[in-house]
Amino acid sequence: MQELKKINGELNAFSNISTSVDKFPFSVKDNICVKNVETTASSKILKGYIPPFNATVVERMLEKKFGFLGKTNMDEFGFGSFGTNNENVARNPFNNEYVAGGSSSGAAIATSILKYHVAIAESTGGSIATPAAFCGVTGFVPTYGTVSRYGLIDYANSLDKIGIMARSIDDVKITYDTIKGPDRYDATCTDNKIGNHDNKKIFIIDQMLDGVEENVRSHFDNFISKMENEGYAIEEKSVDVLDKAIASYYIVAMAEASTNLAKYTGFKYGFKNEQYGHGYNRFFTEARNEFGKEAKRRIVLGTLVRSASVKDKYYIKALKIRRIMLNELNKLLSGGFIASPVMPMLTPRIDDSEKLNPVEVYKMDKLTIPPNLCGLPHVSFPIAYRDSMPIGVQVMTSQFNDYAIMDFAKIWEEKFEYKYRYNIGEL
Amino acid sequence: MMRIGLEVHVALPTKTKLFCSCSTSAKEPNTSICPICMGFPGSKPMLNKNALAIALSISNALKCEIPKQISFVRKVYFYPDLPKSYQITQLQRPAGVNGSVSYNKGKVGIRRVQIEEDPAKIIREEEYTLVDFNRSGIPLVEIVTEPDITDEESLRDFISELKSILYYLGVDVEGEFKADLNISLAEQRVEIKNVTGTKNLIDATRYEIERQTSVINSGQKVKPETRSYNAEKMITESSREKESDEEYGYIFEPDLTEYDTDGINLEKPTYASVMAAEYSSKYNVDGTLIKSLIMFDKNALAKLEYAKDKHNMKTVINAVELLSRYKKDFSNEKFEELLKTIEMGAYIDSTVMNKIEIGEKIDINKGVRIEDIDALLNSILSGMKKEEYKDNKKVFNFIVGKVVKEKKANPKLVAERLKAIIDKV
Repeated sequence: MQELKKINGELNAFSNISTSVDKFPFSVKDNICVKNVETTASSKILKGYIPPFNATVVERMLEKKFGFLGKTNMDEFGFGSFGTNNENVARNPFNNEYVAGGSSSGAAIATSILKYHVAIAESTGGSIATPAAFCGVTGFVPTYGTVSRYGLIDYANSLDKIGIMARSIDDVKITYDTIKGPDRYDATCTDNKIGNHDNKKIFIIDQMLDGVEENVRSHFDNFISKMENEGYAIEEKSVDVLDKAIASYYIVAMAEASTNLAKYTGFKYGFKNEQYGHGYNRFFTEARNEFGKEAKRRIVLGTLVRSASVKDKYYIKALKIRRIMLNELNKLLSGGFIASPVMPMLTPRIDDSEKLNPVEVYKMDKLTIPPNLCGLPHVSFPIAYRDSMPIGVQVMTSQFNDYAIMDFAKIWEEKFEYKYRYNIGEL
Repeated sequence: MMRIGLEVHVALPTKTKLFCSCSTSAKEPNTSICPICMGFPGSKPMLNKNALAIALSISNALKCEIPKQISFVRKVYFYPDLPKSYQITQLQRPAGVNGSVSYNKGKVGIRRVQIEEDPAKIIREEEYTLVDFNRSGIPLVEIVTEPDITDEESLRDFISELKSILYYLGVDVEGEFKADLNISLAEQRVEIKNVTGTKNLIDATRYEIERQTSVINSGQKVKPETRSYNAEKMITESSREKESDEEYGYIFEPDLTEYDTDGINLEKPTYASVMAAEYSSKYNVDGTLIKSLIMFDKNALAKLEYAKDKHNMKTVINAVELLSRYKKDFSNEKFEELLKTIEMGAYIDSTVMNKIEIGEKIDINKGVRIEDIDALLNSILSGMKKEEYKDNKKVFNFIVGKVVKEKKANPKLVAERLKAIIDKV
């Protein structure tokens, strides 16, 4: 435990750590409610929020005798790709001058430094695949609607998916089987039959390789040829609608986010304004000063795209594109898998990442957005190390074939030698 | 031409709130609340299926088209009574569209019926404002009419008809019956927000018609605006709200799915005024009287239905009127007793009603017991020979007259008792 706390001081994986855990430990991303434990989604506006209830996933983990280890750090409300949009910047365990990836940064770092542990994380647009790739662990995002969101602090409800990070697919599977299944507290989590397919085919999509840096591309090509040797047929495809993925995603995500953030008005939980003499408009506007810069940006943009005069042009159109994209990808993926890099570039340094403007950052989610926008099951895992830093791949398949994606990852896992910089054993 | 439209809000008669399992009947402030109706981060709504069934039954009773699937939206605005800073309501595919309500003189179109959650209750004190979240999440329907009402009388009739339909679906129409009024005499539309209760709605309308008439008569134009009703002064006042269209930034409620409306059991509507007219023509009785008895009284209607072909309808109506006047809820057995008593020509007052209620064998006259009448009859007969009174109409009438005089009893009853005794001899 002492070693963990020391390393955590350097990397900012956890926002709090339990004093002791005598069962197999699991961590929880800080946007998922744990009863009587401060849950802030790494936002100043939620400082002091102590949920009076457990998220369904937490309840199910505790029932299955997992032990709660702590809350993991993230980009505020999930708004970020690097783990830098918060008070305590998350640092990559392989080299702490590099980003850990976001927004589930802490979950990825914790998985990378702890030998025995699974992380309950969450992905809206790439928040599991990206940090898993940068920190060299396995990240799994299930089909939307197979894991309850009750107790998840919403970013964009129609996109948010609670998922898992672990050091092995077996751990992912045990955890998924523990948390999945219908929940009467989440109307979107229904009784779906989760299945498998054994189509040994990998599609490579033109739109998902366009703009990928050469030093990432070479490792990816190498991975593909190794899978070909495993008996997978490779087919190149073009899916035009994917050109609209980033725009559609950010419109839907921000529209929903701007309504979700409206509840933080500074008087019922978290940050309390206490200027009760002020009129209500002034009162809640003051409270909203506690939001970070990215949260404010998304409130403004999200409010714009759903306003009456432009709603059809942006919000409604984005929903239509999502529907078309889901149908096209689902049809294609019933015959196999789509593989791609996770990010079009190598893990950036923290100081370099801070020089990027918001649109440049949003564009980097280009590859993780398609499965997230469509709610398709996907996995990210390491395929190579370059200058002692891991490089990952993302693989997705059709809706509800979550076990197919695990089987795919398992084939790779059995051949590949994982490396970790830290290996904290018994706590 | 005058056009009046209404947006009526009524609470649905459910035990629990629209999106959580908190009770709808708590008294002490902030005792029926949970993370869901308080909008705590992490909580999610779950639709009360009973509220959905009732809302669809209302929609059906108002002759609306019900979409195959209904969906919900978020209406975003900031106010201290709104814990999530958005209200879950309906926009596309609400509980019903394109319906109508018919009443004696006319018909009012129903544009839409939508399900939504009530915000919390604001209590304004001089120095501060209190918020009671017991009301947050109470299920409501909003019923929006077409501007088809053309005068005060029609408004009154329409409200009564609508309330009766809602009453028969279990809605508490005596409670807060809130509505926004739209009134236009010329092209300009004036909206009067949040008028509570039928009387205030009528008074506000009357005032507004007079006000707009005098504006027009003075050669000016009516200003299109939002007004509020001051019930104390009985006038409408201009609200200091901004005139621009409000921007709510609606989006689909992503925490709820689309709900199939097929296979939901709808409660059969009761149109009491239509039934009153049917009784009136079938049994040749006073329709207005029946209407007044059954519009807001399920028990009265049940008794009419029970007894309509067993007894004379005038007697049945008389009995139902008595139940209503003395606020009695009789079993069918006791109701029969009451009908029998009426048929005997009795004068019935509260004493008689009470006696029937507790099952006491009663005389049809105040203070006169059947036993006493029987005793007197027996004593008279015992002094006579059987041949003297058997089959002798004259003597029979003489005895009845004597008892009626002595006991101040009802002749019909005395005759009935006497006949019974003679038949047994």
